[in-house]
Amino acid sequence: MSSLKLGWNIMKERMTAGRMMVIWPLLTIFILFSSWGLSDPKVNLPASIVVNSAYDVMYVASAFILFSATMGAVLISFDGISRDRLSGVLEVKLSQPINRSMYARALLIGHWGAIFLPVMVLNLFSVLIIWYRIDDLITIDEFFIHTLATALVLLWYTSIQLLASSWAKDLGSSIAIGLGLWMIFTLLWLVFTTVVAGFSGVGVDDLNSAEFVKIDAFMDLLSPNGLYHHILEMHLDNVDRGMSPLNVSLAAIVWSVLPAYLLTRRIERIHP
Amino acid sequence: MVRDFSTWKPWAKRAGAGIHSIHMEINKGTILGLIGPNGAGKTTLMRAICGLYDCEGFDKSSERRRREIGYMPEQVRWEGNVSVKHALESIAMMREDEVDLDGIIQTVGLSSKSEQILDNLSQGMRQRLSLACALIGDPKILVMDEPLNGLDPLAQRAFCNLLRSLANKGVAVVISSHQVADLEALVDRIALLHHGQMLIEGTLDNIRKELDLDEKSGIVEMICSATGISPDDVSLQLSNDDMLPFKTLGAEEE
Repeated sequence: MSSLKLGWNIMKERMTAGRMMVIWPLLTIFILFSSWGLSDPKVNLPASIVVNSAYDVMYVASAFILFSATMGAVLISFDGISRDRLSGVLEVKLSQPINRSMYARALLIGHWGAIFLPVMVLNLFSVLIIWYRIDDLITIDEFFIHTLATALVLLWYTSIQLLASSWAKDLGSSIAIGLGLWMIFTLLWLVFTTVVAGFSGVGVDDLNSAEFVKIDAFMDLLSPNGLYHHILEMHLDNVDRGMSPLNVSLAAIVWSVLPAYLLTRRIERIHP
Repeated sequence: MVRDFSTWKPWAKRAGAGIHSIHMEINKGTILGLIGPNGAGKTTLMRAICGLYDCEGFDKSSERRRREIGYMPEQVRWEGNVSVKHALESIAMMREDEVDLDGIIQTVGLSSKSEQILDNLSQGMRQRLSLACALIGDPKILVMDEPLNGLDPLAQRAFCNLLRSLANKGVAVVISSHQVADLEALVDRIALLHHGQMLIEGTLDNIRKELDLDEKSGIVEMICSATGISPDDVSLQLSNDDMLPFKTLGAEEE
């Protein structure tokens, strides 16, 4: 029995769950509609955001992917372990002759796949929409970078949420931890960044100053959302926040390995 | 042979002291009943046997041991919008053995419900599904925690008959139940636990002799005699008349 096969089974279960009736429309509205709207030649974007190519549109639309897909990852995974633990099913599963770390990997693959697959389907549609609207098709390597970044950010959120689900003794606590972290990374990270900037003696009155951008770029390495944008920006010529690809890659590796390792360790030690 | 359980850890934030220093034999083809008052450590012992807890002499990462054991936990609440058969398939996937799921479904009497959604199952049907999970992979040892809960009397009898026929085929069964009348008729041997330790183990007759009880004494008397607990110690009493709603109800009925 491989983690992949078991993960595939978990993914099928998750994808047929009732909550997908909420997640699919949410993803569709955010991903497809944002691609449609942002690829309008007359679109007026705030600040100095310039949209010249299909990849630029995909980059700007990535904010909407972050908002909806990461929320989807939280909604799919919040009861990934705690529900089985509460119902007693986890006892049945862990008493089977399967290596616990393999089971942890299967959980991660299954829950991650259940959100990644719909997002990828919609991403493909959004590529076609952008092509239709501005007559520009993203290149293979641009599509690869975008897919990789999306896959990674969903993996990070899934592992964090599954970890929360394994800690929480009830579903409410699990979703509270997951949503709380989602809010911190999605809505409140700028506040943390300004606080850190303030303590570092950098003025926060001008968010476009070189010093603030530097601190902002560093703080983004500590957030899944920020790191997601760092990865996407690696392929943009007109965006440079002074962060080397090596640092971004190292941060991505740490974010991919650390929560997954903690989850595996947790499953190995969990008392059902 | 199961020996030297030592799950007690002073720093662990868990209720109770766990179980310690238990020596117990699980023989092929016999049904061993675990008895004891609430909190005696029966469930903890069963989980330890099944490799859910790490304890001295046992490693919960031992897949070989878990392959030989089928475990039915107490009151599993199966839920979700997947079918009974799909739930069983999911569990069977965690074993590498060839599994005859249809045969198991038929054995536990779930043939007519195999396509039913888990959310729509009654508690009795959920118990049968838990039993089916325990039977996956033809285990040599069946460990069952309160398996009779939620079953109607007919299903209880069928369940006991099934356990006996499995034992006759050489399966060792470890069972705990508070339904002592059924247990007395079912088990070959009994192990009495109290405060995480095993006080006495043997056949019903041997235990009666050892505890100096008469032939009519049942499991309740054995527990009281071995643990020193008096039935009065565990009697439930209401503190005042205001706590008797059925008294009012009775008056209304009159």
